Amino acid sequence: MKFIRLLREKHPNELVLFLIFVILFAVMAALSPDIFLSGANLQNMMFQMPEFGLMALAMMAAVLTGGMNLSIINGATLSAILAALLMTTEWGKANPLPAAVIGTVAIVVISLLTGVLNGVMIGYIGIVAMLVTLSTQLVFEGIGLIITKGNSIGSLPAPFLAIGSAQIGPVPVPMVVFAVMIAVSYFLLERSKWGREVYMIGDNETATRFSGIHTKKVLMLVYVFSGLLYGLSGVLITSRYCSAKTDYGSSYLMQALTAVVMGGTDINGGRGTVAGTILAVMILQTVSTGFTIHRVDQNLVNIFNGLILLFVLSVRYITGRLIDIKKIRARQATAEN
Amino acid sequence: MKKRVVISLFLAAAMTLQLAGCGGSKTSSSEASEGATSEAAPAASETQTEGSAAEESAAGEASGATETAAGSYNILVMPKLTNIPYFQVTGEGALAAGEELGVNVIYDGPTTADAAQQVTMIENYITQGIDAICVAPNDPEAMKTVLQKAKDQGILVIDWDTQADRSVTDASVYNVVDKEFGEHMVDELVEKMGTDSGDIAIITGGLSAANLNAWIKAGTDYIAEKYPNLHIVTDPIASNESQDEAYAKTKELMTAYPDVIGILGYSSPTGPGCGKALYDLGLQDQVALVANGLEDDCQEVLNNGGLDTACLWSCDKLGRLAVATAVAMLENDGQVPADGSAIAGWAEPVISDGEHDVFLTSGGEDFEKK
Repeated sequence: MKFIRLLREKHPNELVLFLIFVILFAVMAALSPDIFLSGANLQNMMFQMPEFGLMALAMMAAVLTGGMNLSIINGATLSAILAALLMTTEWGKANPLPAAVIGTVAIVVISLLTGVLNGVMIGYIGIVAMLVTLSTQLVFEGIGLIITKGNSIGSLPAPFLAIGSAQIGPVPVPMVVFAVMIAVSYFLLERSKWGREVYMIGDNETATRFSGIHTKKVLMLVYVFSGLLYGLSGVLITSRYCSAKTDYGSSYLMQALTAVVMGGTDINGGRGTVAGTILAVMILQTVSTGFTIHRVDQNLVNIFNGLILLFVLSVRYITGRLIDIKKIRARQATAEN
Repeated sequence: MKKRVVISLFLAAAMTLQLAGCGGSKTSSSEASEGATSEAAPAASETQTEGSAAEESAAGEASGATETAAGSYNILVMPKLTNIPYFQVTGEGALAAGEELGVNVIYDGPTTADAAQQVTMIENYITQGIDAICVAPNDPEAMKTVLQKAKDQGILVIDWDTQADRSVTDASVYNVVDKEFGEHMVDELVEKMGTDSGDIAIITGGLSAANLNAWIKAGTDYIAEKYPNLHIVTDPIASNESQDEAYAKTKELMTAYPDVIGILGYSSPTGPGCGKALYDLGLQDQVALVANGLEDDCQEVLNNGGLDTACLWSCDKLGRLAVATAVAMLENDGQVPADGSAIAGWAEPVISDGEHDVFLTSGGEDFEKK
């Protein structure tokens, strides 16, 4: 009981999201227990969620500073395309295992570099994040299209393809990657000194700078961290789809932003938790899988997600107001005494 | 400050959506409008009998009744995306065929032409347990693993409209035979021009679209061989799979080459786009236009004379053929229907190579002024 009260007081938002998730999951399960709760379906969901979840975390890191990262998808696909070129060379075909390792590293490293580019423009030059990432998104997409002419690059080495389909026991490898990155994100953003500074910048960048924090560097690192997350997502996407193409995962961009906002991250920055984002990702995944299984029109998925988002935002606003009113009353009471 | 951020957020969201929209529709129409790369030309005769929809469905029902007990197969028919007219019409055909044959057809697909979403949806359908998958892949490579998985579980895998990797499919349903379709369009143009000498031009959807390029190559080879007096004034002009661009490029073309008397348009937006341009220029009687186009989209330009013939195939029949082929194969141990055979739900004799490929038509279908 004490635990629940603590949760209610400290994390009302996460509690609401968790309840929504549980209800949705229970409803989907009750409607078709033998399919939705089957091992194969749960495993499917665990294979599908990580690539999207990592994209959501990549977006969240930027939003926490009051920014945004519109280049997450094309940053990842460009990295994947360049790495795919490397892996499909003569050398890569002759040495599949080293090629797979180098290819994986290459995707992450190139994504980090795209993160550095965003970070320098946003942190050091000081251009609004949305404009920078909108531009870089176009640049990354354009380069990708020039290289591939809109086609996909396939025939990747077998060991590389294993990343997306392998499992440890019943747990898919992508899920393991996701779990590790959730932990890393939590500790870096919510428990480290740098994380504190990220939230401070989101709250008030000027004040943060005047309090002696090297905001440029902190901002830069935010976009590099974002690059790491979408780079890993790029590895999973490329491996799961056996190929690299500019528009893979194009539907994830708006969904990632939806997950971040639904998860309780303030769009102006400064507030938000990793747990909230992850819960939102789980909600979205449950809806998407559940609706397909129950053969509901795919267009309804968007409507339904929009309604959940509106509902969560309203609950958040109302509880926020109620807490304010409570505080004011309490203060008045103490003042009268 | 906050207001500004919120406003800029909305702007960005709008812009991204727009971008996504552009990209989406571009790929969708480019891939949706047509798509076939055939290797094996079937030893098939032209079976182009224009039957009314009613006749056809009656015939379908009759043959469905004789076949009996198609059972309650679950057949997933997945387009590249559900939100464009082309794939809505194919869906109507697929569902109608399912009803006639007494099988359960699920017509479902992604809302944008995203390969990732398509793979995810197929994964989810495999878990549900289905008997056959007919898919128009957004990307053959991306589809390979999931289709292999389906095949391993004993699900019948067929591609339609656009081909998947040959190793993971049990059968392919093609729209047309590229060579015959390309040659047919040239013949049609010559007929509409009323002469086999003069200047002509080619407008295409995109320079890298494999199927369009196959038709253009078939056409130009055929011109070189059979109509040496036809002179193609310039390289194919790309219209980016957009009706507006096809319109603008046609106007530019007629300004730059006023002597052109015939235009071949490849990809379905060129029919209505180029046709409207010619009509607006008042050239509908001087310049012949033979172009791809959906029957319904082209009515206006066909009626005002801007477009002489729309060449494509009938979309609802394509969806119908996919389902009919799937049922025939499920009933018959996975055997691809033989050439000239009759299958339930399909009024005409099947055009097939007997091993892997089934064709809707060999030379496409012409839509003219009604």
